[in-house]
Amino acid sequence: MRIPDEMLNILYGNYFGYICTSDRIDQPHVVPVFFIYDEQSQKIFFISNDKSKKIKNILENPNVSITVDIRDPLNPFNNEGVMVQGTAIITEKEPIYFLPEETLQLYRDIYMEFKSKYQSVIENKPLGENDIIVQINIRKMVYWRGPHFKSVRISRDGEIT
Amino acid sequence: MHNDKKEMKWIYEEIVGRIPPFSLLSYKYSILLQLFFLLILGITLGFIFNLKTISLLYGSTAVLVAVLWSLLILQLGPTLRRFRAPLSKDENRLLERYKEILFHRNHYEIIPGIAIFILFMIYLFYYGSDLLEEWLGENPSSILLLFISLLIWDLCYRMGLGIWTSILALWRSVELNSIAEERTELEHTPYTELRSLRRLDINNVFFGIISLLLIPLLQQDQFLVAIIILFTVFIILSSVVSADIISKVPWLPPDIYNLVKEASFAYVGTSFRGIPHTTPVVYVFDGQSVFFNTSKEAKKLKILRNNNKIAFLIDKRDMSNIYENKAVLFTGEVKIYGLLDIPLLFSRMLQARRLFMRKYPEYTRKYSTSQLPRVWQLTPLIARILIEVKPTKIIYWRGAKQISVPV
Repeated sequence: MRIPDEMLNILYGNYFGYICTSDRIDQPHVVPVFFIYDEQSQKIFFISNDKSKKIKNILENPNVSITVDIRDPLNPFNNEGVMVQGTAIITEKEPIYFLPEETLQLYRDIYMEFKSKYQSVIENKPLGENDIIVQINIRKMVYWRGPHFKSVRISRDGEIT
Repeated sequence: MHNDKKEMKWIYEEIVGRIPPFSLLSYKYSILLQLFFLLILGITLGFIFNLKTISLLYGSTAVLVAVLWSLLILQLGPTLRRFRAPLSKDENRLLERYKEILFHRNHYEIIPGIAIFILFMIYLFYYGSDLLEEWLGENPSSILLLFISLLIWDLCYRMGLGIWTSILALWRSVELNSIAEERTELEHTPYTELRSLRRLDINNVFFGIISLLLIPLLQQDQFLVAIIILFTVFIILSSVVSADIISKVPWLPPDIYNLVKEASFAYVGTSFRGIPHTTPVVYVFDGQSVFFNTSKEAKKLKILRNNNKIAFLIDKRDMSNIYENKAVLFTGEVKIYGLLDIPLLFSRMLQARRLFMRKYPEYTRKYSTSQLPRVWQLTPLIARILIEVKPTKIIYWRGAKQISVPV
Protein backbone atom coordinates (compact mmCIF):
# COMPACT_ATOMS: atom_id res chain seq x y z
CA MET A 1 0.00 0.00 0.00
CA ARG A 2 1.11 3.53 -0.71
CA ILE A 3 0.60 6.60 1.45
CA PRO A 4 -2.71 8.16 0.33
CA ASP A 5 -2.33 11.27 -1.85
CA GLU A 6 -4.31 13.44 0.58
CA MET A 7 -1.65 12.84 3.23
CA LEU A 8 1.19 13.50 0.80
CA ASN A 9 -0.43 16.76 -0.33
CA ILE A 10 -0.63 17.99 3.23
CA LEU A 11 2.88 16.93 4.18
CA TYR A 12 4.50 18.34 1.06
CA GLY A 13 2.34 21.42 0.72
CA ASN A 14 2.64 23.08 4.13
CA TYR A 15 5.31 25.03 5.95
CA PHE A 16 4.46 24.66 9.60
CA GLY A 17 4.33 21.56 11.70
CA TYR A 18 3.26 21.48 15.35
CA ILE A 19 5.44 19.14 17.28
CA CYS A 20 4.34 17.70 20.57
CA THR A 21 6.89 16.14 22.89
CA SER A 22 6.47 15.07 26.48
CA ASP A 23 8.82 14.68 29.38
CA ARG A 24 9.34 11.98 31.98
CA ILE A 25 6.19 12.93 33.88
CA ASP A 26 4.00 13.06 30.76
CA GLN A 27 3.79 16.85 30.64
CA PRO A 28 3.24 17.69 26.96
CA HIS A 29 4.86 20.60 25.14
CA VAL A 30 3.87 21.96 21.69
CA VAL A 31 5.81 24.26 19.37
CA PRO A 32 5.64 25.14 15.69
CA VAL A 33 8.60 23.96 13.57
CA PHE A 34 9.73 24.06 9.96
CA PHE A 35 10.00 20.52 8.70
CA ILE A 36 10.57 18.38 5.65
CA TYR A 37 8.91 15.10 4.85
CA ASP A 38 10.60 12.27 2.96
CA GLU A 39 8.28 9.71 1.49
CA GLN A 40 11.06 7.27 0.56
CA SER A 41 12.26 6.72 4.12
CA GLN A 42 8.99 7.69 5.83
CA LYS A 43 10.77 10.26 7.91
CA ILE A 44 10.18 13.84 8.97
CA PHE A 45 13.15 16.08 9.68
CA PHE A 46 13.36 19.30 11.58
CA ILE A 47 16.18 21.46 12.87
CA SER A 48 16.28 22.63 16.43
CA ASN A 49 18.55 24.31 18.92
CA ASP A 50 20.08 21.71 21.22
CA LYS A 51 19.09 23.72 24.30
CA SER A 52 15.41 23.80 23.44
CA LYS A 53 12.74 22.21 25.59
CA LYS A 54 11.67 19.85 22.81
CA ILE A 55 15.19 18.42 22.53
CA LYS A 56 15.35 17.97 26.30
CA ASN A 57 12.02 16.17 26.14
CA ILE A 58 13.10 13.95 23.24
CA LEU A 59 16.19 12.91 25.20
CA GLU A 60 13.86 11.88 28.04
CA ASN A 61 11.17 10.39 25.82
CA PRO A 62 11.71 9.85 22.08
CA ASN A 63 8.01 9.49 21.26
CA VAL A 64 6.68 12.53 19.41
CA SER A 65 3.64 13.65 17.53
CA ILE A 66 3.57 16.24 14.77
CA THR A 67 0.50 17.81 13.22
CA VAL A 68 0.38 19.59 9.87
CA ASP A 69 -2.90 21.12 8.82
CA ILE A 70 -4.86 23.56 6.70
CA ARG A 71 -7.37 25.53 8.64
CA ASP A 72 -10.42 27.38 7.44
CA PRO A 73 -11.91 29.79 9.97
CA LEU A 74 -15.24 29.82 8.15
CA ASN A 75 -15.96 26.27 7.17
CA PRO A 76 -14.94 23.38 9.41
CA PHE A 77 -15.62 20.97 6.55
CA ASN A 78 -12.57 22.37 4.78
CA ASN A 79 -10.27 21.75 7.73
CA GLU A 80 -7.76 19.22 6.70
CA GLY A 81 -4.67 17.83 8.32
CA VAL A 82 -2.36 15.00 9.22
CA MET A 83 -1.22 13.96 12.63
CA VAL A 84 1.98 11.92 12.63
CA GLN A 85 3.13 9.81 15.55
CA GLY A 86 6.59 8.35 15.69
CA THR A 87 9.93 8.20 17.42
CA ALA A 88 12.57 10.85 17.21
CA ILE A 89 16.27 10.23 16.75
CA ILE A 90 18.93 12.80 17.37
CA THR A 91 21.82 11.64 15.24
CA GLU A 92 24.71 13.33 16.95
CA LYS A 93 24.87 15.87 19.69
CA GLU A 94 28.36 16.97 18.84
CA PRO A 95 29.92 19.95 17.14
CA ILE A 96 29.46 19.62 13.44
CA TYR A 97 33.21 19.10 12.69
CA PHE A 98 33.34 15.82 14.58
CA LEU A 99 30.47 14.18 12.76
CA PRO A 100 31.12 11.08 10.65
CA GLU A 101 31.06 11.59 6.90
CA GLU A 102 27.71 9.86 6.35
CA THR A 103 25.96 11.96 8.99
CA LEU A 104 27.49 15.06 7.49
CA GLN A 105 26.17 14.00 4.10
CA LEU A 106 22.71 13.52 5.60
CA TYR A 107 22.98 16.96 7.20
CA ARG A 108 23.97 18.51 3.87
CA ASP A 109 21.13 16.80 2.00
CA ILE A 110 18.53 17.72 4.56
CA TYR A 111 19.82 21.22 4.82
CA MET A 112 19.66 21.67 1.04
CA GLU A 113 16.10 20.50 1.14
CA PHE A 114 15.25 22.89 3.91
CA LYS A 115 16.83 25.64 1.91
CA SER A 116 14.77 24.92 -1.14
CA LYS A 117 11.54 24.58 0.84
CA TYR A 118 12.07 27.61 3.06
CA GLN A 119 14.03 29.73 0.61
CA SER A 120 12.29 32.97 1.44
CA VAL A 121 12.88 32.55 5.13
CA ILE A 122 16.26 31.04 5.82
CA GLU A 123 18.06 32.54 2.81
CA ASN A 124 21.74 31.72 3.13
CA LYS A 125 21.91 31.33 6.86
CA PRO A 126 24.21 28.39 7.59
CA LEU A 127 23.45 25.77 10.25
CA GLY A 128 24.31 27.28 13.61
CA GLU A 129 26.70 25.81 16.11
CA ASN A 130 23.88 24.66 18.37
CA ASP A 131 21.59 23.44 15.62
CA ILE A 132 20.86 19.78 15.42
CA ILE A 133 18.81 17.79 13.00
CA VAL A 134 16.06 15.62 14.42
CA GLN A 135 14.69 12.69 12.41
CA ILE A 136 11.28 11.29 13.15
CA ASN A 137 10.58 7.72 12.14
CA ILE A 138 6.90 7.73 11.28
CA ARG A 139 4.86 4.93 12.87
CA LYS A 140 1.32 6.16 12.39
CA MET A 141 -0.47 8.88 10.44
CA VAL A 142 -4.05 10.06 10.81
CA TYR A 143 -5.57 12.21 8.09
CA TRP A 144 -8.80 14.16 8.42
CA ARG A 145 -10.91 16.35 6.24
CA GLY A 146 -13.94 17.78 7.98
CA PRO A 147 -15.45 14.92 9.95
CA HIS A 148 -13.84 12.17 7.87
CA PHE A 149 -10.79 10.26 9.02
CA LYS A 150 -8.26 7.93 7.45
CA SER A 151 -5.19 6.40 9.03
CA VAL A 152 -2.10 4.37 8.11
CA ARG A 153 0.46 2.50 10.14
CA ILE A 154 4.04 2.02 9.10
CA SER A 155 5.87 -0.99 10.47
CA ARG A 156 9.56 -0.99 11.34
CA ASP A 157 10.47 -2.54 8.00
CA GLY A 158 8.55 0.15 6.12
CA GLU A 159 5.38 -1.79 5.40
CA ILE A 160 2.33 0.43 5.14
CA THR A 161 -1.04 -0.83 6.36
CA MET B 1 16.00 52.34 54.42
CA HIS B 2 15.01 49.73 51.94
CA ASN B 3 12.24 47.73 53.50
CA ASP B 4 12.22 44.63 51.31
CA LYS B 5 12.65 42.35 54.24
CA LYS B 6 10.47 44.35 56.58
CA GLU B 7 8.18 42.06 58.47
CA MET B 8 4.70 43.26 57.82
CA LYS B 9 3.15 43.51 61.26
CA TRP B 10 0.69 45.74 63.00
CA ILE B 11 1.68 47.58 66.15
CA TYR B 12 -0.41 45.66 68.67
CA GLU B 13 0.81 42.30 67.42
CA GLU B 14 4.33 43.66 67.35
CA ILE B 15 4.28 44.83 70.95
CA VAL B 16 2.69 41.68 72.33
CA GLY B 17 5.03 39.61 70.15
CA ARG B 18 7.99 40.98 72.10
CA ILE B 19 6.77 39.78 75.50
CA PRO B 20 7.68 36.21 76.48
CA PRO B 21 6.28 33.58 76.14
CA PHE B 22 4.64 35.10 73.03
CA SER B 23 8.00 36.18 71.65
CA LEU B 24 9.09 32.54 71.57
CA LEU B 25 6.29 31.51 69.26
CA SER B 26 5.59 32.31 65.65
CA TYR B 27 3.42 35.32 65.00
CA LYS B 28 0.24 33.35 64.42
CA TYR B 29 0.60 31.04 67.44
CA SER B 30 1.54 33.91 69.70
CA ILE B 31 -1.79 35.60 68.90
CA LEU B 32 -3.66 32.35 69.50
CA LEU B 33 -1.88 31.76 72.80
CA GLN B 34 -2.65 35.29 73.85
CA LEU B 35 -6.34 34.84 73.20
CA PHE B 36 -6.26 31.46 74.89
CA PHE B 37 -4.82 33.15 78.01
CA LEU B 38 -7.62 35.66 77.81
CA LEU B 39 -10.15 32.82 77.72
CA ILE B 40 -8.61 31.06 80.72
CA LEU B 41 -8.38 34.33 82.60
CA GLY B 42 -11.99 35.14 81.81
CA ILE B 43 -13.29 31.76 82.97
CA THR B 44 -11.17 31.92 86.15
CA LEU B 45 -12.45 35.39 86.96
CA GLY B 46 -15.95 34.18 86.22
CA PHE B 47 -15.63 31.48 88.87
CA ILE B 48 -13.95 33.73 91.42
CA PHE B 49 -16.64 36.39 91.09
CA ASN B 50 -19.40 33.86 90.77
CA LEU B 51 -20.68 35.04 87.40
CA LYS B 52 -23.66 33.50 85.67
CA THR B 53 -23.07 30.83 83.02
CA ILE B 54 -24.44 33.15 80.39
CA SER B 55 -21.71 35.67 81.23
CA LEU B 56 -19.04 33.02 80.69
CA LEU B 57 -20.69 32.15 77.40
CA TYR B 58 -20.70 35.78 76.34
CA GLY B 59 -17.04 36.18 77.23
CA SER B 60 -16.08 33.01 75.39
CA THR B 61 -17.99 34.12 72.30
CA ALA B 62 -16.11 37.40 72.36
CA VAL B 63 -12.78 35.56 72.56
CA LEU B 64 -13.88 33.20 69.78
CA VAL B 65 -14.71 36.14 67.53
CA ALA B 66 -11.33 37.70 68.27
CA VAL B 67 -9.57 34.41 67.44
CA LEU B 68 -11.42 33.93 64.14
CA TRP B 69 -10.86 37.53 63.13
CA SER B 70 -7.17 37.25 63.96
CA LEU B 71 -6.75 34.07 61.95
CA LEU B 72 -8.27 35.71 58.90
CA ILE B 73 -6.56 39.03 59.14
CA LEU B 74 -3.15 37.60 59.96
CA GLN B 75 -3.03 35.99 56.51
CA LEU B 76 -2.52 39.42 54.99
CA GLY B 77 1.09 39.81 56.09
CA PRO B 78 2.45 36.44 54.92
CA THR B 79 0.47 36.56 51.66
CA LEU B 80 1.70 40.02 50.80
CA ARG B 81 5.24 39.14 51.81
CA ARG B 82 5.23 36.28 49.28
CA PHE B 83 3.78 38.53 46.60
CA ARG B 84 5.89 38.55 43.43
CA ALA B 85 6.37 41.98 41.91
CA PRO B 86 4.04 42.75 39.00
CA LEU B 87 5.74 43.07 35.62
CA SER B 88 4.47 46.58 35.23
CA LYS B 89 6.12 49.57 36.84
CA ASP B 90 2.85 51.31 37.65
CA GLU B 91 1.17 48.22 39.07
CA ASN B 92 4.24 47.48 41.11
CA ARG B 93 4.28 51.02 42.47
CA LEU B 94 0.61 50.75 43.40
CA LEU B 95 1.07 47.46 45.24
CA GLU B 96 4.12 48.77 47.07
CA ARG B 97 2.10 51.78 48.16
CA TYR B 98 -0.76 49.57 49.23
CA LYS B 99 1.56 47.49 51.39
CA GLU B 100 3.25 50.58 52.76
CA ILE B 101 -0.02 52.15 53.89
CA LEU B 102 -1.45 48.86 55.14
CA PHE B 103 1.58 48.30 57.37
CA HIS B 104 2.57 51.93 57.74
CA ARG B 105 5.44 52.68 60.10
CA ASN B 106 3.27 55.34 61.78
CA HIS B 107 0.75 52.57 62.40
CA TYR B 108 -2.34 54.34 61.15
CA GLU B 109 -4.14 51.01 61.28
CA ILE B 110 -4.69 51.49 64.97
CA ILE B 111 -6.74 54.70 64.53
CA PRO B 112 -10.11 53.17 63.61
CA GLY B 113 -9.70 50.65 66.45
CA ILE B 114 -8.98 53.36 69.01
CA ALA B 115 -11.88 55.46 67.75
CA ILE B 116 -14.30 52.53 68.00
CA PHE B 117 -12.96 51.63 71.46
CA ILE B 118 -13.30 55.15 72.86
CA LEU B 119 -16.78 55.68 71.45
CA PHE B 120 -17.94 52.29 72.66
CA MET B 121 -16.51 52.75 76.18
CA ILE B 122 -18.15 56.17 76.48
CA TYR B 123 -21.42 54.72 75.31
CA LEU B 124 -21.13 51.73 77.62
CA PHE B 125 -20.21 53.61 80.79
CA TYR B 126 -21.94 56.97 80.43
CA TYR B 127 -25.08 56.44 78.46
CA GLY B 128 -26.75 54.16 80.84
CA SER B 129 -26.72 51.10 78.73
CA ASP B 130 -27.83 48.01 80.67
CA LEU B 131 -25.27 45.93 78.92
CA LEU B 132 -22.68 45.94 81.72
CA GLU B 133 -25.25 44.67 84.15
CA GLU B 134 -26.37 42.03 81.69
CA TRP B 135 -22.81 40.83 81.24
CA LEU B 136 -21.36 41.09 84.74
CA GLY B 137 -24.27 41.46 87.12
CA GLU B 138 -24.82 44.38 89.51
CA ASN B 139 -21.83 46.35 90.86
CA PRO B 140 -19.10 44.38 89.18
CA SER B 141 -15.64 44.41 90.68
CA SER B 142 -13.06 46.71 89.12
CA ILE B 143 -10.92 43.69 88.21
CA LEU B 144 -13.80 42.41 86.11
CA LEU B 145 -14.24 45.83 84.54
CA LEU B 146 -10.58 45.94 83.70
CA PHE B 147 -10.76 42.50 82.16
CA ILE B 148 -13.81 43.28 80.10
CA SER B 149 -12.19 46.49 78.90
CA LEU B 150 -9.26 44.42 77.68
CA LEU B 151 -11.62 42.10 75.86
CA ILE B 152 -13.51 45.02 74.35
CA TRP B 153 -10.23 46.54 73.26
CA ASP B 154 -9.27 43.28 71.57
CA LEU B 155 -12.51 43.27 69.61
CA CYS B 156 -12.55 46.98 68.78
CA TYR B 157 -8.96 46.88 67.62
CA ARG B 158 -9.71 44.04 65.22
CA MET B 159 -12.94 45.62 64.05
CA GLY B 160 -10.85 48.67 63.22
CA LEU B 161 -8.38 46.49 61.35
CA GLY B 162 -11.27 44.98 59.41
CA ILE B 163 -12.44 48.42 58.31
CA TRP B 164 -8.89 49.53 57.58
CA THR B 165 -8.04 46.48 55.43
CA SER B 166 -11.39 46.50 53.60
CA ILE B 167 -11.17 50.14 52.58
CA LEU B 168 -7.57 49.75 51.47
CA ALA B 169 -8.37 46.56 49.54
CA LEU B 170 -11.21 48.26 47.71
CA TRP B 171 -9.01 51.24 46.87
CA ARG B 172 -6.22 48.91 45.67
CA SER B 173 -8.58 46.88 43.46
CA VAL B 174 -10.14 49.93 41.82
CA GLU B 175 -6.71 51.48 41.16
CA LEU B 176 -5.19 48.23 39.90
CA ASN B 177 -8.07 47.69 37.52
CA SER B 178 -7.75 51.17 36.08
CA ILE B 179 -3.93 51.05 35.83
CA ALA B 180 -4.19 47.67 34.09
CA GLU B 181 -6.01 49.34 31.22
CA GLU B 182 -2.87 51.33 30.44
CA ARG B 183 -0.63 48.30 30.12
CA THR B 184 1.56 47.86 27.09
CA GLU B 185 3.20 44.78 25.55
CA LEU B 186 4.06 42.32 28.30
CA GLU B 187 3.14 44.31 31.39
CA HIS B 188 0.93 42.47 33.85
CA THR B 189 0.48 41.20 37.38
CA PRO B 190 0.86 37.41 37.54
CA TYR B 191 -2.31 35.34 37.83
CA THR B 192 -1.26 33.66 41.09
CA GLU B 193 -0.84 37.05 42.71
CA LEU B 194 -4.19 38.35 41.47
CA ARG B 195 -5.79 35.22 42.85
CA SER B 196 -4.15 35.63 46.23
CA LEU B 197 -5.43 39.22 46.45
CA ARG B 198 -8.86 37.89 45.64
CA ARG B 199 -8.55 35.24 48.32
CA LEU B 200 -7.70 37.92 50.87
CA ASP B 201 -10.87 39.76 49.88
CA ILE B 202 -12.89 36.58 50.29
CA ASN B 203 -11.32 36.18 53.75
CA ASN B 204 -12.66 39.61 54.56
CA VAL B 205 -16.16 38.52 53.58
CA PHE B 206 -15.90 35.83 56.26
CA PHE B 207 -14.54 38.45 58.62
CA GLY B 208 -17.78 40.35 58.09
CA ILE B 209 -19.96 37.28 58.60
CA ILE B 210 -18.19 36.36 61.84
CA SER B 211 -19.10 39.71 63.40
CA LEU B 212 -22.72 38.53 63.44
CA LEU B 213 -21.71 36.26 66.33
CA LEU B 214 -21.56 39.38 68.48
CA ILE B 215 -25.28 40.07 68.11
CA PRO B 216 -26.41 37.81 70.99
CA LEU B 217 -24.07 39.72 73.30
CA LEU B 218 -25.62 43.03 72.33
CA GLN B 219 -29.24 41.97 71.85
CA GLN B 220 -30.36 44.20 74.74
CA ASP B 221 -29.36 47.23 72.78
CA GLN B 222 -31.06 47.75 69.42
CA PHE B 223 -28.70 50.56 68.54
CA LEU B 224 -25.56 48.45 68.95
CA VAL B 225 -27.14 45.54 67.07
CA ALA B 226 -27.84 47.93 64.21
CA ILE B 227 -24.21 49.10 64.30
CA ILE B 228 -22.96 45.51 64.09
CA ILE B 229 -25.25 44.77 61.16
CA LEU B 230 -24.10 47.94 59.45
CA PHE B 231 -20.48 46.92 60.05
CA THR B 232 -21.13 43.44 58.64
CA VAL B 233 -22.84 44.78 55.56
CA PHE B 234 -20.07 47.30 55.00
CA ILE B 235 -17.26 44.73 55.27
CA ILE B 236 -19.03 42.12 53.13
CA LEU B 237 -20.09 44.57 50.47
CA SER B 238 -16.73 46.29 50.10
CA SER B 239 -14.89 42.95 50.05
CA VAL B 240 -17.23 41.39 47.49
CA VAL B 241 -16.90 44.43 45.26
CA SER B 242 -13.12 44.39 45.67
CA ALA B 243 -12.90 40.66 44.86
CA ASP B 244 -15.12 41.16 41.84
CA ILE B 245 -12.97 44.00 40.51
CA ILE B 246 -9.79 41.97 41.03
CA SER B 247 -11.28 39.08 39.09
CA LYS B 248 -11.83 41.46 36.18
CA VAL B 249 -8.17 42.50 35.98
CA PRO B 250 -6.75 40.67 32.96
CA TRP B 251 -4.04 38.24 34.06
CA LEU B 252 -2.47 38.09 30.62
CA PRO B 253 -0.29 40.94 29.35
CA PRO B 254 -1.86 42.83 26.41
CA ASP B 255 0.37 41.23 23.75
CA ILE B 256 -0.71 37.74 24.73
CA TYR B 257 -4.27 38.81 25.58
CA ASN B 258 -4.73 40.18 22.06
CA LEU B 259 -3.17 37.16 20.41
CA VAL B 260 -5.44 34.81 22.37
CA LYS B 261 -8.46 37.02 21.67
CA GLU B 262 -7.81 37.33 17.93
CA ALA B 263 -6.47 33.94 16.83
CA SER B 264 -8.91 31.32 15.58
CA PHE B 265 -7.13 28.04 16.17
CA ALA B 266 -5.04 26.35 18.80
CA TYR B 267 -3.05 23.14 18.97
CA VAL B 268 -3.69 20.82 21.84
CA GLY B 269 -0.85 18.57 22.95
CA THR B 270 -1.64 15.70 25.29
CA SER B 271 0.37 12.72 26.40
CA PHE B 272 -0.37 9.39 28.01
CA ARG B 273 2.20 6.73 28.89
CA GLY B 274 4.80 8.73 27.03
CA ILE B 275 2.90 8.85 23.73
CA PRO B 276 2.19 12.45 22.68
CA HIS B 277 -0.83 13.45 20.62
CA THR B 278 -1.55 16.77 18.86
CA THR B 279 -4.72 18.14 17.30
CA PRO B 280 -5.96 21.53 16.18
CA VAL B 281 -9.03 22.88 17.97
CA VAL B 282 -11.23 25.94 17.94
CA TYR B 283 -11.40 27.75 21.28
CA VAL B 284 -12.85 30.77 23.03
CA PHE B 285 -11.42 33.20 25.56
CA ASP B 286 -13.64 35.20 27.93
CA GLY B 287 -10.84 37.48 29.08
CA GLN B 288 -10.03 35.17 31.99
CA SER B 289 -10.24 31.55 30.88
CA VAL B 290 -9.59 29.62 27.69
CA PHE B 291 -12.11 26.95 26.71
CA PHE B 292 -12.27 24.39 23.94
CA ASN B 293 -14.80 21.78 23.00
CA THR B 294 -14.19 18.22 22.12
CA SER B 295 -16.26 15.32 20.98
CA LYS B 296 -16.97 12.68 23.57
CA GLU B 297 -15.43 10.18 21.17
CA ALA B 298 -12.19 12.11 20.69
CA LYS B 299 -8.87 10.50 21.46
CA LYS B 300 -7.62 13.62 23.25
CA LEU B 301 -10.51 13.45 25.70
CA LYS B 302 -9.66 9.84 26.52
CA ILE B 303 -6.05 10.86 27.05
CA LEU B 304 -6.98 13.88 29.17
CA ARG B 305 -9.19 11.76 31.41
CA ASN B 306 -6.10 9.66 32.16
CA ASN B 307 -3.60 12.48 32.33
CA ASN B 308 -5.00 15.99 32.58
CA LYS B 309 -1.73 17.70 31.68
CA ILE B 310 -1.91 19.78 28.56
CA ALA B 311 0.12 21.96 26.21
CA PHE B 312 -2.04 24.54 24.46
CA LEU B 313 -0.43 26.55 21.67
CA ILE B 314 -2.00 29.56 19.99
CA ASP B 315 -0.12 31.20 17.15
CA LYS B 316 -0.27 33.71 14.37
CA ARG B 317 1.68 32.42 11.41
CA ASP B 318 2.70 34.26 8.30
CA MET B 319 5.24 32.86 5.87
CA SER B 320 5.82 36.25 4.25
CA ASN B 321 7.20 37.70 7.45
CA ILE B 322 8.19 35.16 10.05
CA TYR B 323 9.73 37.80 12.29
CA GLU B 324 6.23 39.07 12.95
CA ASN B 325 5.02 35.62 13.96
CA LYS B 326 3.67 35.33 17.46
CA ALA B 327 2.85 32.31 19.54
CA VAL B 328 1.91 31.58 23.09
CA LEU B 329 2.15 28.22 24.81
CA PHE B 330 0.16 27.48 27.93
CA THR B 331 1.25 24.39 29.78
CA GLY B 332 -0.66 23.15 32.76
CA GLU B 333 -3.77 21.17 33.45
CA VAL B 334 -7.35 21.04 32.27
CA LYS B 335 -10.73 21.01 33.89
CA ILE B 336 -13.15 18.74 32.07
CA TYR B 337 -16.74 19.89 32.56
CA GLY B 338 -19.35 17.26 33.25
CA LEU B 339 -22.91 16.87 34.46
CA LEU B 340 -21.82 17.42 38.06
CA ASP B 341 -20.64 20.92 37.23
CA ILE B 342 -24.06 22.09 36.08
CA PRO B 343 -25.36 23.27 39.47
CA LEU B 344 -22.38 25.50 40.26
CA LEU B 345 -20.89 26.35 36.90
CA PHE B 346 -23.91 26.45 34.62
CA SER B 347 -23.57 30.15 33.83
CA ARG B 348 -19.90 29.66 32.96
CA MET B 349 -20.76 26.79 30.63
CA LEU B 350 -23.52 28.79 29.03
CA GLN B 351 -21.22 31.75 28.62
CA ALA B 352 -18.60 29.56 26.89
CA ARG B 353 -21.27 28.25 24.54
CA ARG B 354 -22.39 31.78 23.71
CA LEU B 355 -18.81 32.79 22.99
CA PHE B 356 -18.42 29.80 20.64
CA MET B 357 -21.54 30.79 18.76
CA ARG B 358 -20.33 34.35 18.42
CA LYS B 359 -16.74 33.50 17.42
CA TYR B 360 -17.55 30.66 15.03
CA PRO B 361 -21.07 31.33 13.71
CA GLU B 362 -20.41 29.31 10.56
CA TYR B 363 -19.07 26.39 12.54
CA THR B 364 -22.06 26.38 14.81
CA ARG B 365 -24.42 26.52 11.85
CA LYS B 366 -22.64 23.75 9.94
CA TYR B 367 -22.20 21.57 12.98
CA SER B 368 -25.91 21.77 13.65
CA THR B 369 -26.93 19.79 10.59
CA SER B 370 -28.28 16.50 11.70
CA GLN B 371 -26.60 14.18 9.16
CA LEU B 372 -23.25 14.60 10.84
CA PRO B 373 -21.42 11.60 12.22
CA ARG B 374 -21.78 11.23 15.97
CA VAL B 375 -18.26 12.50 16.60
CA TRP B 376 -19.20 15.92 15.28
CA GLN B 377 -22.60 16.43 16.79
CA LEU B 378 -23.01 19.50 18.91
CA THR B 379 -25.35 18.50 21.72
CA PRO B 380 -23.62 19.95 24.76
CA LEU B 381 -22.53 17.51 27.48
CA ILE B 382 -23.88 14.53 25.58
CA ALA B 383 -21.75 14.73 22.47
CA ARG B 384 -19.54 17.76 23.11
CA ILE B 385 -17.44 18.19 26.22
CA LEU B 386 -16.30 21.59 27.44
CA ILE B 387 -12.69 21.80 28.61
CA GLU B 388 -10.99 24.67 30.38
CA VAL B 389 -7.24 25.23 30.18
CA LYS B 390 -5.60 26.04 33.53
CA PRO B 391 -2.08 27.18 32.76
CA THR B 392 0.73 26.95 35.27
CA LYS B 393 3.36 28.17 32.84
CA ILE B 394 3.27 30.56 29.88
CA ILE B 395 5.86 30.88 27.14
CA TYR B 396 5.55 33.56 24.52
CA TRP B 397 7.39 33.99 21.23
CA ARG B 398 7.66 37.10 19.17
CA GLY B 399 9.63 36.47 15.98
CA ALA B 400 12.55 34.37 17.16
CA LYS B 401 12.53 35.73 20.69
CA GLN B 402 11.30 33.49 23.47
CA ILE B 403 9.98 35.00 26.66
CA SER B 404 8.78 33.15 29.72
CA VAL B 405 5.87 34.96 31.33
CA PRO B 406 5.11 34.33 35.02
CA VAL B 407 1.61 33.06 35.70
